[in-house]
Amino acid sequence: MAPRSPLASWLIIAAASLAPWAVIVAVWELAAVKGWLQSSLLPPPSSFIRYAIESDFKVGFGREAMAIPAAILASAYRVIVGLALGFVAAVATGIAISMSRIAKWSFLPVIRGLAPIAPIAWIPIGIILFGVGNGTAIFVVFVGVYFLLTLSTVAAVQSVDERMIKTARTYGATPRQVWLWVIFPAVLPQVFTMLRLNFFAAWMAVLAAEMVGLKNGVGMMVILGREMFNGNLIMLGICIVGITGYVVDSALLFVQRKLLWWSGEGAMAR
Amino acid sequence: MSSLVCRRVGKVWAAPHGLAVEALRGIDLAVSAGEFVAILGPSGCGKSTLLEMIAGLESRTSGDILIDGAPVTGPNPKAVMVFQEHALFPWLSVEDNVAFGLKMKGVALWDRRERAREVLRKVRLTPFAKHYPHQLSGGMKQRVAIARALVGNPEFILMDEPFAALDFQTRVLMQQFLLEIWASFKSTILFVTHQIDEAILLADRIVVMSAGPGAVIEEVPVTLPRPRSYTSEGFNEYRVRLTAHMEREVMKAHAAELA
Repeated sequence: MAPRSPLASWLIIAAASLAPWAVIVAVWELAAVKGWLQSSLLPPPSSFIRYAIESDFKVGFGREAMAIPAAILASAYRVIVGLALGFVAAVATGIAISMSRIAKWSFLPVIRGLAPIAPIAWIPIGIILFGVGNGTAIFVVFVGVYFLLTLSTVAAVQSVDERMIKTARTYGATPRQVWLWVIFPAVLPQVFTMLRLNFFAAWMAVLAAEMVGLKNGVGMMVILGREMFNGNLIMLGICIVGITGYVVDSALLFVQRKLLWWSGEGAMAR
Repeated sequence: MSSLVCRRVGKVWAAPHGLAVEALRGIDLAVSAGEFVAILGPSGCGKSTLLEMIAGLESRTSGDILIDGAPVTGPNPKAVMVFQEHALFPWLSVEDNVAFGLKMKGVALWDRRERAREVLRKVRLTPFAKHYPHQLSGGMKQRVAIARALVGNPEFILMDEPFAALDFQTRVLMQQFLLEIWASFKSTILFVTHQIDEAILLADRIVVMSAGPGAVIEEVPVTLPRPRSYTSEGFNEYRVRLTAHMEREVMKAHAAELA
């Protein structure tokens, strides 16, 4: 087979990744036209996109009206700040716990006990502590990733290559220097991978917080649509939730590849 | 004059359920300045453990290890260890990997860059100073690891099977490279290997170890003229003699495992 030109392979990748979406939209539109779906309940993209344009990309009425881009930014801000705080705190806690066996025995069971609690379950506590606002949403994302990432930091510390630590010691690194200059950079990629895997749960938690308490953000769009029996708004909200989540995940992937590229196998493979 | 002396060195590993495993027993070894000594033995004979004890990375159960007359109590800039190439720090550039030890000692950034570049120039790695380990081949990584050891001017370089993971061609090149380094830096090298040919090619003296517990069973001076090659006259006599030893040791260790 003749080698493909870069343009040709780019086109193939683009076609392959867009085709499934085109099929979904086409079937959906066809179903609406043929009347297989009740289009007031499950409006097709042509309908809810027109709705968004007609309503000037705003939802809600009067003082509660909110621009859709502002809603997206509000939700993305909450999840990114929560993830960043959770990551930093978890790496710090995980390393601190790993440095002392007594700390491990005393704190690890607490963290293992709190880790299985679903982020959504923290919403009422967040509202009590921080009131209805950004604080609660950030708190929910934070607790949603913090405990799991602390556990994964502890696991990552245990899996650091012994030879790397011995090398540092043979070159005169003190135990403190080994933690700072070897173990800390060695665990970052692995913990960040866990952060990405847990991002989706955190994203859902933000939406849930927006639905039940905070009356803004993209989660609120969906619930407002339900309250107003507005199928267009529900579907629009769902699509925006999906797209925003995809974009944030892509940003995390970018950080992982460009800033934390040295994970064991990943670095080997390239 | 630098010197390294091991006197009746022993190591016992504590194992679970109160069992203990004797890894090394009564090791006597003396290495003088400028020597290239190979430690040859089957896997599991404790030769890596011995090297780590000399580097001060592992404690000993009995005996003395003296460097320049002073007992080894911990990691020591006079004797540094080189592991297989995996021990490079993947998040640091070649230059920063080489300068790592200087950074730990608090040498200023400008100064350590300078010294790292100097060593990289001597080992002909200057074009790769800004590369990262994952961009290098196995042989290149190992050269960086050796440069990292050289930058602190150690008296002893302790090498734990450094070329075991390399393919044959690369290994041959690296062996030549190491001999050049040894000649130009006048270092003293203690080199652990399980490959008979490698030991004959490189060393002034081969220390043959037995397994279970590890002990020195013979010291073989290699008097072949340098430069040597695998096809040098007289190479085969050494190979036959050492292979016979190794075979016996491997069979003994195997029998002990089954017993």
